[in-house]
Amino acid sequence: MTRQPLRSPAGAAGVVVYFRTMAAFALAWAALSAWTANTALLPSPLAVGRAIVELAADLELFKHAAISLGRMVASLAIAVALAVPLGLLMGTRRLAEDLLDPVVEVLRPISGIAWIPLALFMFGIGNALPVFIMTYAAFFPILLGTISGVRGVDRRLVDAARTMGVPARTIMTTIVVPAATPSLLVAIRLGVASAWTAVVAAELIGAPSGLGYAIEWYRELLMTPQVMAFIAMIGLLGFLFDAALRALSRRLTPWAPEARAR
Amino acid sequence: MTAAASGALAPRLLRGAAVPLLLLAVWSAATALYPTVRTPTPAKVALAAVEMTASGDLPLGVLQSLGRVFGGFAVAAALAIPLGLAMGSVRGVERNVDPLVESFRPIAAIAILPLAILWLGTGTSAAVSIVAYAAFFPIVVNTVAGVKRVDPTLLRAAATMGVDRLTVLRTVIVPGALPSIGVGLRIALGVAWTAIIAAELAVGAKAGGGGSGGIGQMMFVFYAYSIELNRIVVCMIAVGLVAFVLDRGLRAILARLMPWSH
Repeated sequence: MTRQPLRSPAGAAGVVVYFRTMAAFALAWAALSAWTANTALLPSPLAVGRAIVELAADLELFKHAAISLGRMVASLAIAVALAVPLGLLMGTRRLAEDLLDPVVEVLRPISGIAWIPLALFMFGIGNALPVFIMTYAAFFPILLGTISGVRGVDRRLVDAARTMGVPARTIMTTIVVPAATPSLLVAIRLGVASAWTAVVAAELIGAPSGLGYAIEWYRELLMTPQVMAFIAMIGLLGFLFDAALRALSRRLTPWAPEARAR
Repeated sequence: MTAAASGALAPRLLRGAAVPLLLLAVWSAATALYPTVRTPTPAKVALAAVEMTASGDLPLGVLQSLGRVFGGFAVAAALAIPLGLAMGSVRGVERNVDPLVESFRPIAAIAILPLAILWLGTGTSAAVSIVAYAAFFPIVVNTVAGVKRVDPTLLRAAATMGVDRLTVLRTVIVPGALPSIGVGLRIALGVAWTAIIAAELAVGAKAGGGGSGGIGQMMFVFYAYSIELNRIVVCMIAVGLVAFVLDRGLRAILARLMPWSH
């Protein structure tokens, strides 16, 4: 939505501005932490940097990141496998929409995070809980995006194909799905963002591993530099995941304006 | 025509109710076939809802959570709208501040929660600051986008007529950006409500029940101490209802304030 600084015409200048801003931020932070003089409360940027290096060196950072990412990919796959066919059905068939829309509208306002206590009883502490919560969180944005993508398909194309006697299945695969893809990819990005938020909450409360768990573990030990290192990792991975999906949209649907939007 | 329309309405309502009723029936039947003490059934959930409402616990919890949401939301709006206006209308501000916004945006509010607890304790201020953090980013991003979408012809016309910058901001930029700011506020309110549930749940989990109330905390107590699944389900339904009412309410307010956008 906003313009990307690193993509502005003056690319090098953008990089300079970026580092200047971040350096100013780090300086302010360092000054504040020197004034606080309490590593458990507000460690200096250097201490956090050291914690990142140490955690990376003994691979702990990557281990927890890999676990969280694995859960993320699994839930995303499940959510896409459920939501996209359902969205295609609800977008093309009036009956399916009339039947299922009330259920969707009742469940959708209940955030994934609100399911955590009940899901703890259903699944216990382990992999199933975060995967369930993340799948739930990713499901609704993907479903709604697919439906609105299908609705946005040019009626005249479908009518033209139908007039020429193209079978319904071919219309679906050659017209509806390609036309709905840009909107679907945006929806997947929204789903990922929502699931990535939920993973931290789910792991914070009910998983024996992962980034959320690691944050909580080091908080209880009052090792704040490590807490901040894992928080930075969550931000970085969220950013990279989104960047990868944006790159994918540009590749798959170079014609769509959504592919360039943020 | 009207007769046909109302004739079509009844079957639609019937169809809309079919699947939810079917699911309720399946839920009842399944719990009747495998009765255990704790399994929630529709009848027990309804009874629990009546009890919790009559005793005043549920309304109190919802009000406590809502108070925090509105507090944090107000803080976020008061910071984010002026910042967004400045970033959108002054190129230098955007270039210098955008790296900071974009670096923190991917970090989910829940991930900051351990730090908030560390700095502010397990009381209301930690929860409010998490809400403010969560609501801040959607408002900034949408305000900036709104300012950029203001018709440049209007800006040039105002400049030609020698209108000073403050008046341009007040009479051209703000009204032009309002619809987009409204979208940001709506997204932010939804995110804020999700964040407060997560914050209260996690504060409840980490403070050993010694937290500060709210519906998320209530859910955690029902999960960890009294083990009442029926009441957890009631809380989930309340969370969904409040989310729904918040969204519809804000949408209605925005539609009244800005009849020119939809």
